[in-house]
Amino acid sequence: MIPDGELLRSRVVTDLAAVLEDALDRRLDGYAVVEPRDALLGDTDDSGVVTFEDGVPHLAYHVGSDRGGPPALAAIGPGPYRLELYALDATDLAIAHESDDLRVPPGMAAERLAGAPDLAERTRRVAGTDHEDGRDALDAFLDDEAAIAELRENARTEAKARAEQWGFEDAVPE
Amino acid sequence: MVEAFAVASGKGGTGKTTSTLALGMALADSYDVTVVDADTGMANLLFHAGLADVETTLHDVLVEGGAPVEDATYERFGMSVVPCGTSLAAFEAADPERLRDAVADLAADTDVLLLDSPATLASKSAVLPIVLADRVVVVLNPTIPAVSDGLKVQEYALSYGSDIAGTLFNRVEGDIGDVAAKADRYFEGPLLASVPETDAAGEARAAGEPLLAHAPDSAAAAAFREAAAALDPADGDSGAVADRFRTAVIPDPP
Repeated sequence: MIPDGELLRSRVVTDLAAVLEDALDRRLDGYAVVEPRDALLGDTDDSGVVTFEDGVPHLAYHVGSDRGGPPALAAIGPGPYRLELYALDATDLAIAHESDDLRVPPGMAAERLAGAPDLAERTRRVAGTDHEDGRDALDAFLDDEAAIAELRENARTEAKARAEQWGFEDAVPE
Repeated sequence: MVEAFAVASGKGGTGKTTSTLALGMALADSYDVTVVDADTGMANLLFHAGLADVETTLHDVLVEGGAPVEDATYERFGMSVVPCGTSLAAFEAADPERLRDAVADLAADTDVLLLDSPATLASKSAVLPIVLADRVVVVLNPTIPAVSDGLKVQEYALSYGSDIAGTLFNRVEGDIGDVAAKADRYFEGPLLASVPETDAAGEARAAGEPLLAHAPDSAAAAAFREAAAALDPADGDSGAVADRFRTAVIPDPP
């Protein structure tokens, strides 16, 4: 259902907080494949997949138990883990992300897999699911004029580069 | 006369299709309105407009030797509605190049053309409605990802010579205070309206009706009418708009 993404990192980690934070900071669209110690030893297929949208965990699936959503997070065993993080175009995740079957609340992966309540809180703020905090975060974001100027500039640069790639040059005003 | 609007947001779930049909219905009081599902990859409009069971959709127009666009145009809720179908095979057989001709044909015979655009900027055909429209309505939610992606949509539109009609803050819960005004500083067009989150939007979709037909007295419907009134469609030259669509760049096949 989800095509292969671009591998961003592959390593053995003892703590998943750093990778969840990395995904959040990058506003990653993509997924992580997490194989706990038992799976590394070949005892059982205990691996799990967590998808991200804008850096926020969205779906979780556990292969061994064929469980999805919060039970999948609970089924992923203790570390260390082999961790593979992939980037994927948001359009390739859109259909999967329309389904509610495997959905996890935004902060749950940080709480359950990483034991990181602060990161869970930050994730919820970014997801905007904690409305009051989400609003405060948006308010702070909108006060950061330099960051927004950079975001707009990057989008313009990207649009112009793609105009060439896509043959839209005629549409670009002089 | 005709003015073409793309209704766009960089991400899904902002309520773009609900907004497109709400603006369309509100404008239909004064104008001839045609709404087109320009998101050929993820058909959505048909469910919102009670067209889930129709035989001919835009996909049938976009295939080799396909049906004329009139056959995929349905008069619903005072508007002309051109839905896409949900079949993946039909989507794969459809040639987005023909979308330009279909929309050019529609432009000749309407006052306001609303293009419900894909929720991504990742492909050439997804960006095409923004390139071709006269103005873009940017649909936002009061979250950082939605506002970030809305800014990207704006910069793409401006880079490709399309104007910004304004921003629509949708799915607003409670009082968003200064947030809308602060965001407005970074967007070119006016803040068209703040639309409150409402269960009626999901109920309307389930009933196959636009929000303005399903819950015309809701606060959200009133906000959409306010936004539509602020759009003030221009008296454009139908021929020029049709030509722009006909001669536009050719998108890649899906």
